[in-house]
Amino acid sequence: MSSSIPGSSLGRTVYFVAAFVVEATLVGLGMALVLHQRFRGRPLMRAVLLIPWALSRVAVGILWQGLLDADFGALNGVLHSLGLIDSYIGFFANGFSALNVLVSVYMWNQAPFATVLFLAGLQSIPEDLHASAAVDGAGFWRALWHIVLPALKPMIFLVVVLCTVNGFLMLDLTFVMTMGGPGDDTTSVAWLGYKTAFIFFKFGPGTAILYTLTALCVLLTFVYQRIILAKFEAEA
Amino acid sequence: MARALPRHAGARRRLVHRVVLYGLVVALAGWIMGPFVWLFVTSVSYQRNLLARPFTLIPPEVTAENYRMILGLVRFHAEVQASRIIPALLNSVIVAGAVTTLNLVIGSAAGYAYARCAFPFKQVSLYLILFTRMLPTVVLMPAFFLMLRAFGLQNTLTGLAVAYASFTLPFTVWIMKSYFETIPRDLEGSGLVDGCTRLQVYRRIVLPMSGPGLVASGAFTFMLCWNEFVIAQVLNSKPGSTTLPPIIAGMMGQANIDYSVIAASGFLSALPAVLLALVFQRYMVQGLTAGSVKG
Repeated sequence: MSSSIPGSSLGRTVYFVAAFVVEATLVGLGMALVLHQRFRGRPLMRAVLLIPWALSRVAVGILWQGLLDADFGALNGVLHSLGLIDSYIGFFANGFSALNVLVSVYMWNQAPFATVLFLAGLQSIPEDLHASAAVDGAGFWRALWHIVLPALKPMIFLVVVLCTVNGFLMLDLTFVMTMGGPGDDTTSVAWLGYKTAFIFFKFGPGTAILYTLTALCVLLTFVYQRIILAKFEAEA
Repeated sequence: MARALPRHAGARRRLVHRVVLYGLVVALAGWIMGPFVWLFVTSVSYQRNLLARPFTLIPPEVTAENYRMILGLVRFHAEVQASRIIPALLNSVIVAGAVTTLNLVIGSAAGYAYARCAFPFKQVSLYLILFTRMLPTVVLMPAFFLMLRAFGLQNTLTGLAVAYASFTLPFTVWIMKSYFETIPRDLEGSGLVDGCTRLQVYRRIVLPMSGPGLVASGAFTFMLCWNEFVIAQVLNSKPGSTTLPPIIAGMMGQANIDYSVIAASGFLSALPAVLLALVFQRYMVQGLTAGSVKG
């Protein structure tokens, strides 16, 4: 029985990482595109952007419990007051829902980091490129597709690699929000390793799981470093 | 007339553009700020009002009772758990402060050596530092656990500080190295000609010019240590020896503690890091774009 658990936790981890990478990249990019525009209060918004990222994972967990709880969650309260739901939703009652909530909350916490990287990338696109596109009558989406995204390619790659590594090893939010439950439905490989080693005190098997993950991340980090170093050499 | 029409259409398009843009900005502000503001609202509310139906976004009563409870100013049924918060807060300040100081002294000196000096294994060790900086801290945990237990440093603040320094130092070395490389060599050359040693040049000429780099790495290090949860939970499991995040996470599981009280402790613990991020936003962004992965 116990041998079947790592298999399914691997599946959940792959789902978690894939969903997290897609959400964090898209939301991070969307926020960067808005914050790159000129508008009143932009410096303030750029400072405030860092708040979700500056919160500890414990605070993030507490805060989202306040929004999603089945008894006092503010989101439940608002939806109920608007008449959109008949009774409060138990976001953590169902395993798949709990896993998706975990993805989104982690995304809320991490997307600002992606935005900061994308903003740095956007700054390096020459203004006249935008101007000439505007003269040619290119709309927003065409300019995005043909100018902005190609220029951001290295940053997108960077964000995807970083989010992949962080997603594979995320366990603090799991600890605070779900403890791997309900059942084992939000138990990722990292949480399984942590739980085995430091909650059940089976140090050997737990460490084996964590070191397998380490090997995987070392590989990813290696790829990432090749890219970073290639960039540094290009600048020099 | 023929010319006025397109100009009118252009003005309308600009207006639509503005409306859409400000709509997006407001949505973004709500997405980023809303949850944090709500955390504060719950922390000054009574639990009974949070549970009330129909639900109200603006609390009917405002109270500082939750804060008084966690600061030990009033007696209540969970005061034993709450009484651990202030010692844990002090531990957090000590560990984060010590590690930040260590980083600024040792990390910046190492960064300077990498930026200016030639020594054996420079490239290899730099590569290794860069490499450890990329590793998420979770993978280092079994090693921390075994080593600190072997040295008898489990459940001590020293042990925690050593563990934190090991994953924050590579980061500081990297930021400071990049920063020192932007300082013109000529400025140091004149000092060296005047008979100063390398160390004197570093202390009298280089360090006074390195404010932004030091602020970036200092603020970043402090925030990482202040927020760190899992390592503290594993290494320092004894209540008196641990920092704020494990104590608050432990309260979350307790059925006898109201959410509003937990929200107050969550807000209190989040405040220093949030203020740091807001005040040093520019430097934080520099630190992030310098290639950090520690999320």
